Amino acid sequence: MATDLQQRILAFLNGGPGNFDELALEVFEFQRAHNPTYRAFCDPRPPITRWEEIPAVPTSAFKDFQIACFPVSQAVAEFHTSGTTHTRAGKHYFKTLELYDAASRPNFIAHLLPDVASLPVLALTPSPANAPHSSLAHMLGVVAGNDCEFFIERDKLLSDRLTQRLCEMQWSSQPVMLLGTAFAFVHLFDHLGKLRFDLPEGSRAMETGGFKGRSRAITKTELYRLFTHQLGIPTQHIVNEYSMTELSTQFYDETMRIGRQSNRKDVPAWARVLIIDPATGQPAQVGERGLIRVYDLANLWSAVCIQTEDLGIAYADGTFEVLGRVAGAEVRGCSLNAESLRN
Amino acid sequence: MNTADIQTAISQAAGNWLVPGNQWRTRAIAEAPGLTGFSPEMVDEAITLIFSSLKLEALEKFPVPTDAPRRITHILSGNVPAPGIGSICRGLLLNAENLVKCSQRDPVFPRLFVESLREVNAELAARVTVLHWSREEISQTRTALAGADAVFAYGDDESIASLRALTPATTKFYGYGHKISFAIVGHEALFTGDLPAAAAFDASMYDQQGCMSPHAFFIEGDARGFAELLARAMEDYQHRVPRGKLAIEEAALATRVREAYEFRSANDSRVSVWTSHPPYPWTVIYDEAMEFTPSCLNRTVFVKPAKTLNAIREWTGRISTVGISPWNDRLQSLAGSLAGRVCQIGQMQRPPVLFLG
Repeated sequence: MATDLQQRILAFLNGGPGNFDELALEVFEFQRAHNPTYRAFCDPRPPITRWEEIPAVPTSAFKDFQIACFPVSQAVAEFHTSGTTHTRAGKHYFKTLELYDAASRPNFIAHLLPDVASLPVLALTPSPANAPHSSLAHMLGVVAGNDCEFFIERDKLLSDRLTQRLCEMQWSSQPVMLLGTAFAFVHLFDHLGKLRFDLPEGSRAMETGGFKGRSRAITKTELYRLFTHQLGIPTQHIVNEYSMTELSTQFYDETMRIGRQSNRKDVPAWARVLIIDPATGQPAQVGERGLIRVYDLANLWSAVCIQTEDLGIAYADGTFEVLGRVAGAEVRGCSLNAESLRN
Repeated sequence: MNTADIQTAISQAAGNWLVPGNQWRTRAIAEAPGLTGFSPEMVDEAITLIFSSLKLEALEKFPVPTDAPRRITHILSGNVPAPGIGSICRGLLLNAENLVKCSQRDPVFPRLFVESLREVNAELAARVTVLHWSREEISQTRTALAGADAVFAYGDDESIASLRALTPATTKFYGYGHKISFAIVGHEALFTGDLPAAAAFDASMYDQQGCMSPHAFFIEGDARGFAELLARAMEDYQHRVPRGKLAIEEAALATRVREAYEFRSANDSRVSVWTSHPPYPWTVIYDEAMEFTPSCLNRTVFVKPAKTLNAIREWTGRISTVGISPWNDRLQSLAGSLAGRVCQIGQMQRPPVLFLG
């Protein structure tokens, strides 16, 4: 049954027939049946009839439990969250990477390569072989193709080598695609200092993730200004990617699809995003802020509905915007709170 | 002005606030909720709590040293009105001239209190000037600090450090930082009677944003049983004094904490969660984990077995108050090793008049 469901989801991911609403409910039933942890969470709740009612698994659960519908000893891969000194890392186990890879490729191409078949890739991440537990490194390994170099080794950005490659690209008039975390790009820009490139037309960049204290934190506007100023990549060719270890699907700014810089993200056919008003637990009004909840059919073997810790806004055209992680709630009184000293 | 006249004037002004329908009380209930974020019922509750503590016999206990400062600058912070009112009273009892920078979150209480004092004793009220300016206006702050013999400053570590840096080295500087509080219920305690209601009052007052608001109750006896009773009492208190409306970030933070524990509770017998209906105005979390994490506030309170109490020692120096029940030597000694102020549960939000720790 699971194999059949996986095949049907795979076909749907690949643009074949299928109905999200029905598949989501099937995946939910499958997960409830095959993950006792999830079943224990769901059973006291009223039965559901619509995908919007599927009980969401908070991302924190990946730290405390095995969120998997198969024996994790059979996992072909496990991706880990970064974890901090005060928290354990969360783990996402994969029985197969088929769905993950199928969800990654076409979505990446639609948002980073809508105009050309391929480009050489310079990735400011470790290689998948060097970081087997990094979902980002794996994803880039899948989408980037063969002409891809990785520039992080042992947690260090290979700035000199990367700078040299950028020189070569500029001299050979070869457009290039840069992929990496926002903080890795900040390290690159700090390294470049006064050195400026004017990368060939058609060059582009994908940046992802927050800073998590690993580089100086700057605003998105400032980061994009640096892309343009130091690399010559115009803002309509810079795309933010939103994803997390607990998901199998990535979300990209609509920027390259519409031809101008935008902070709104597209939702592919096999996923849904709801913005939840924390005061009601129900979907927020369009344009109102709330917690981002993701429904992802490619998460067949883990959890189809994930409650993130990020705030976002939904728009009437079906896109959504990510506003950042819930953390810095202002202390209004004179008590310390959970966030006061831990950051 | 002699000390007795000052004490009398403060106690009279405070007494007026306690009269239902009194103009200052009415105005505070109308004006304070917006900026403080408290419900009108909570503002009402706060008025009763604060002004009933300013009785003459309590004020008479306040010692006035011979070398008291003549001019005091008070830099207030946050939405909880009690420390600011206490600070002003302390300055007056010291016979000083007082310059008060009120908090952006509560410009209402200090002004109205001084107005109410003017009604009783205009000369005394003239010794307090309440102003507000933004913390970005450094030159204003510097001027206010330079003119003082002593500075009473409230706020987070960063604010206090920057105020200290702006204060001339010869000026006495008293910084009161943000703190946490908690409570211990001894095995001798009976859960019947008033204890759960007293605990719920301490945890719910000021929507748990005060430094004397308990984040956790450590229970020597049946901790889970206590949590259940506390939950019921939190609901009762919510009916009487609703929590204020939260900013989206605060609500999201509380949701994140609640949902994480709800998922755990389905699969871990060491965790249980009690909560209300949307907008989830209170949450009680029973957790046997050895670690202690401060609450996200806004009436999210932990109940833990006392065997986990050791984790609180990490917060030594940042603990304001430890509430205990029952009031016996053993618990007083245990609590006294952890914090400067020890009181009975139910009294955590009723510090001695001018206690500021």
